[in-house]
Amino acid sequence: MAPMLLAGIALAYLGFGARVIPPATVIEALFAFDPTRFDHKVVVELRMVRLLVGLLAGASLGVCGALLQAITRNPLGEPHVLGLNAGAVLAVVSSITFGPALASGFPAVSGPVLIAARPVVAACGAAAMFALVLATASAGRQGLTPLKVTLCGIALSSFAAALTSAQLILDDQTLATIRLWLAGDLSGQSYAALRGAVPVCLLGFGLACAIAGRLNAMALGDGVASGLGVDLVRTRWAGLAAAGLLCGAAVSLAGPIGFVGLVVPHVVRACITRDLRLLLPLSAVLGACLLLAADLAARSLLAPRELATGALTALVGVPVFLALAARSR
Amino acid sequence: MRAPSYRAGYRRTTLGPLAFRVRLRPLVICLALAGAMLAGALWALMHGSLHIPTGAAIAALTGGEANREVLHIIMEVRLPRVLMAMLIGAMLGLAGAAMQTLTRNGLADPGLIGVKEGASIGVLLVLFGAPGLSLGWRPVAGLAGGLSAALLVCALARDLSGLRFVLVGIGLSWLLSAVLLIFLTTADINDVETALLWLAGSLHNAAWPMLPVAALWGALGALTLAATARQADAALLGDAAASGLGVRLKGLNGLRLASSALMTAAAVSCVGSLGFVGLMAPHMARLMVGGGQGALLTGSALCGGFLVLAADTFGRLAFAPLQIPAGIVMAVFGVPVFLLLLWHRRDRL
Repeated sequence: MAPMLLAGIALAYLGFGARVIPPATVIEALFAFDPTRFDHKVVVELRMVRLLVGLLAGASLGVCGALLQAITRNPLGEPHVLGLNAGAVLAVVSSITFGPALASGFPAVSGPVLIAARPVVAACGAAAMFALVLATASAGRQGLTPLKVTLCGIALSSFAAALTSAQLILDDQTLATIRLWLAGDLSGQSYAALRGAVPVCLLGFGLACAIAGRLNAMALGDGVASGLGVDLVRTRWAGLAAAGLLCGAAVSLAGPIGFVGLVVPHVVRACITRDLRLLLPLSAVLGACLLLAADLAARSLLAPRELATGALTALVGVPVFLALAARSR
Repeated sequence: MRAPSYRAGYRRTTLGPLAFRVRLRPLVICLALAGAMLAGALWALMHGSLHIPTGAAIAALTGGEANREVLHIIMEVRLPRVLMAMLIGAMLGLAGAAMQTLTRNGLADPGLIGVKEGASIGVLLVLFGAPGLSLGWRPVAGLAGGLSAALLVCALARDLSGLRFVLVGIGLSWLLSAVLLIFLTTADINDVETALLWLAGSLHNAAWPMLPVAALWGALGALTLAATARQADAALLGDAAASGLGVRLKGLNGLRLASSALMTAAAVSCVGSLGFVGLMAPHMARLMVGGGQGALLTGSALCGGFLVLAADTFGRLAFAPLQIPAGIVMAVFGVPVFLLLLWHRRDRL
């Protein structure tokens, strides 16, 4: 049923906009593209990129959230809360400010290469930040508690955000190019950026699915999991890498969008299943649905003006965060 | 045999018709802090794009002989900024100290739990909803926003002393910043530029007219806190003991929460968002001064003033001619302190 929901939302997504195109025409444009018809060109050449960006970013964020919640055993796990988004943004902004100067020694590394490498840079930033959060939060006798992970994530992400804005103040050229991206926005992406992000995203998703069974065992507790033959350390490292890759792919395309990864796994767990092997793909589908729906609302609520997509997902996600936080202990 | 209060370090001092009991050690440390802050202020007045020697700076301040250019730079450009930094820092430090005592929670900071964002929304509403109003109304609007945010957090978290309070506060601050973001992405572009300039939390455009407004609200909050300091000391003994000693807990907590939100909101409406001061200053004060509420409040005000002055001067001079807002400098130095505090509590969270 979830794929049908996604297909419906995608159809609506392609249809709505400054010019409303009926679903029949949209389907026609997809399967029998006629370059002479204006509606077909709008659907395929303008709205399709944005749809694909939304699909990829939403799916990555959903899976990333499910993964983080499993690794930290924390219902509040989410790329925005745990600082992954801020780490990815810091890495990307640093690569834009310092990249050209560093690359000048190597003629092979030029502008397009830097742009193509952006998902990887973002993934490294996100993974490094998550490792730092995990390292600081696992101090103490009880190890990772939800509260400590959340507080460390928030503290470190405000640190990264401060470093990011310091760089942007010192270099307003960079600010001008990425201002919209910083607010979390799906528009203005190209197929080139998409091609760079797809392999990163697929790698992350594959890694996540590969360790899903072991993460299921870890949900029973560290002792039981190692009794069942799970290598705890290696599984955690793999999970960290997968979360970093997924978050990096999403952030490099759509900017720091929060709370999709928080809401979706909770919905899946409450309504369908707690088995991670099924939960991860379902989170991908529903994450894409949620992000596309939020973006559709952002585009159409105050048309022709656009709201920031990140703000709308926060309006949906923060009440869920508050409900979870108010219930904890 | 001396009185117990003497053995606890209290000395009786009289000043005309007034008599106080003062402890010597905190008094000396507070005086030293104040001296350090004044020295720092003088240093900040002397440095900038034009270096002014000590003698000339003091002459300009005391109305002695100084040339017009130096006089203008000192009196119109640097002095209001330095004074504003110290004032805002003191207000944020006091607010943080009150909030930490009130919630008995060392991680509580009015800036962390949504008061800042609430105040920002209030100010922006006034700024663009009623552009004709004078500067003095801004803190009132900020206060309304900040106080409603604080009340909302209290209502949602129910229990003030738990760490859930901090978590709920953080969630609420995200929600409010999403509302701010929606405003920033939909409003008229000219409005957005005004708003962004103000939101960045820079003391860059501190000027004389804003100072008395900030000072008025700061003084109101500080007096309320000082007047309730003794009762707050008693309240720290626990709810039952405090009620037994005759403290009206509900009224006390409400009053102190309100004055803490008041000072934070006033500070935010004057210079924009400036985090981590309310978190760090009370801990510095506790380390250095120690003792009861009176000493803690004085120490926090002095430490807060010194912190913001230092952050602003650093941001102003480190990358000159570019200026880094004090809020950013504060976050870079504040986060390690926050993590250190978490480390201390690592077994209890």
